[in-house]
Amino acid sequence: MEAEGSGLQERNVNTNLDGLETIEQKIIALAQARPNKGISDKDLAIEIPDLRPDQRAQIINKLLKQECFELYNNKQTGVLSYRLRDPTKIVKGADNEEKVVYKIIEEAGNKGIWTRDIRFKSNLMHTQLKKILKSLETKKFIKVVKSVAASKKKVYMLYNLEPDESITGGAWYQDQDFETEFVDVLNQQCYRFLEQKKEKTKNCNIGPVAARNMTFASSKDVWKFISDLGISKVKLSVTNIEMILNTLVYDGKVERILAGDGSNLYRAIEPLVISPGLIRTPCGLCPVRKHCFDDGPVTPIKCQYIREWLD
Amino acid sequence: MKDFQSKLCMLLLEEYFGNIVQCIGNSLLHSRKTLDVIRLHTNLPLIKVKEGLCVLIKYGFVTYQQDEKGSVHYVLHCEKIIMLLRYPRYMLFAKTYCRDEGEIMLEEVLKHGYITASEVIIKTYKRLEETPSKCAEQLSVANLKNTFELLVKNQFLMHSISFNTMKENIEKPEYNLPHLNMTAISNILQGQNADPGDNKLYWKVNFDRFTQDFRDKIMVSAMTQRFDINAGELMRQLINLMYLRTAPWTATSNPIPYTEIKEEVKKLTFLELEQYLDQYLRLIEEDSSQFIKRVGDSGGGQYSVNMKNAFKQLVWATIESIVAERFGSKAARIFRLVRIEKNVNLDQIQQLAMIPAKEAKCLTYILAQENFIQMQEIKKAGTLAAPTKGPFHFYIDLTKIVQMEIEHCCQALYNIIKRRDHELSNNKRMIEKQLRVQILSSNMKEHGATEQQLADIAEMMTPSETQQLEKAQNAIKKLNVTELQIDETLFLLTIYLPYH
Ligand code: SF4
Repeated sequence: MEAEGSGLQERNVNTNLDGLETIEQKIIALAQARPNKGISDKDLAIEIPDLRPDQRAQIINKLLKQECFELYNNKQTGVLSYRLRDPTKIVKGADNEEKVVYKIIEEAGNKGIWTRDIRFKSNLMHTQLKKILKSLETKKFIKVVKSVAASKKKVYMLYNLEPDESITGGAWYQDQDFETEFVDVLNQQCYRFLEQKKEKTKNCNIGPVAARNMTFASSKDVWKFISDLGISKVKLSVTNIEMILNTLVYDGKVERILAGDGSNLYRAIEPLVISPGLIRTPCGLCPVRKHCFDDGPVTPIKCQYIREWLD
Repeated sequence: MKDFQSKLCMLLLEEYFGNIVQCIGNSLLHSRKTLDVIRLHTNLPLIKVKEGLCVLIKYGFVTYQQDEKGSVHYVLHCEKIIMLLRYPRYMLFAKTYCRDEGEIMLEEVLKHGYITASEVIIKTYKRLEETPSKCAEQLSVANLKNTFELLVKNQFLMHSISFNTMKENIEKPEYNLPHLNMTAISNILQGQNADPGDNKLYWKVNFDRFTQDFRDKIMVSAMTQRFDINAGELMRQLINLMYLRTAPWTATSNPIPYTEIKEEVKKLTFLELEQYLDQYLRLIEEDSSQFIKRVGDSGGGQYSVNMKNAFKQLVWATIESIVAERFGSKAARIFRLVRIEKNVNLDQIQQLAMIPAKEAKCLTYILAQENFIQMQEIKKAGTLAAPTKGPFHFYIDLTKIVQMEIEHCCQALYNIIKRRDHELSNNKRMIEKQLRVQILSSNMKEHGATEQQLADIAEMMTPSETQQLEKAQNAIKKLNVTELQIDETLFLLTIYLPYH
């Protein structure tokens, strides 16, 4: 349990660190909504009231330094405003190729696009494209995101975009790593919930069918239990929990049925067969069985596994 | 594919009947043969071949068929040889129904293959005379005759009529009891010559009856395991009712009316089952295991026992446990996933099983390599055989796995028996010595030996010898138990095949 606990704590810390970045994203989104007018300090104070001025300055300065924002004087209001730089217009020394590549990446949206596909679409040479991508990346117009679907596959998207779930893997991934421990803990807890539900029906003398019906839980019930437990700092959806519950179905521990209203119901079940005789013997589990013959390198008479098991 | 099954059969033949019989069995392993061919093949003198064949035929391991030209071919039945492993269980089963006397009688029939009723009674009488403690009732020919009739009434024994393969399959089992001349039997027991009155009417063990009973027990305990003892008992009653209207090996029983089930349950002392009978029926019927099916609504409902499906589910559960135990719970998750989702590719497996990509891939390939799941390349329609490997689909071929695991059981049994023989022969001297010491000591006791003398005799076994002997005996006991356990799995898997 210790290892699991620390894993969860880490998630917690990471989410807190994300705070400022989330605000940054929010500011970018605001600027995107007003591509021409831009946003002023005053607008920001209204839209994000809890943001302290020093924090605001910090973020804006960062964005300006990254050449993501530009400062401009709004002629109508006479207020100094920030707006998103349009790289296709502004980038100094931006040649046509860079613009083309930028456009292709922009079109790919938050699902990103693979180098190979950019090459096909832009008809650029490999080395040339590499250079352009590098340049756009250093200027922070685009970024590289590792996809969870394939560890070697990198996709490009605009710098300020939040990658799609299909790229990040959603709740189950942290920095492209699948969080086995987290999933395993949830799998155990969901099962514990269903098992306890079943335990409660024992000795309550209401007849077997009523008892069985009491052991069913909807995915929402389970979701609530897990949320209340507070083991996950990431917000999980009911669909997320259903994914976990399905792993329990695949584990053979839980059965799923379709309720009248179209929702899924789950309950813990007992197996039909417990530990067949074969696997209670050394030869049932033996890793070298294929090489075990009367005159082979391993023989039943010399066998170490049987000797240890007999002792 | 059937290497170890054959090896196991040959080992059993050698253990029980010796070299020559094994040799003849071996020559019949792969094809039927005529007497002459067997002789040529085995290089044994004709008389030995004949004797050996006689033994094999007597126990039902070999039957014969005549072809159009009139020559007689001998056929070996491996599945019957494997039943040798179950003889102890058969005897125990007879004991629970027909007491110790029944057990001994069944043992006599098993030992002889086929035998007349009077002979069984005489042999059993003689054995019980030697060990009167085993006899539950007063030892008398009349009591033994009753026990014999009880065995027949339970259909544990039946007439042995023919060893011809062709005829055997069409014959109906016969259970008509002979008229025994009791005085004649008593006279024979006293060493006189007499005619017991059942000359040439032979009996043999009705193996099918035992096989059915073991099959039924598996189903009852599965329901007990899944729900509770009430559900298990209900299953037992349903199976009993099935026998009344359906041939024992039919895949699904004829409809059993609710009223009849209720009648049967009333006769039991399962109060809770009686009170909630409707609900228990619903419980079993609605369960995903589908052991029974509701097939009609008239008269409170009609139910059918689905043997075929029950064994499919039982075999799935067995194989799933084997996978879990051999390759871990994550591998078992993948295995069940492929079972439930039918055709899946690697990406789907990884997403649904929620196992990291690398691990999922690795486990899937292990399962494929060990033949628990099958891989199939998806060919896109219209494209010619592409040089690159396309994406793969995974699916399960259950029958193939069952055959593979039957082989696995046979290999495990073979190894365990080999090992036990080894332990026995390794400690033979010690075991014999202990026996001698025991006999000596009990003889001396009868002749009024002193404590001191007895202690001296006991000391003939040194402490280290006693210790070693104890160790060996424990090992042999453990190996014996294991043999029975493996056979349970083998039995379950074997039952599946004829249904599918
Ligand atoms: S005898 Fe030993 S080596 Fe051979 S299969 Fe059994 S456990 Fe494995």
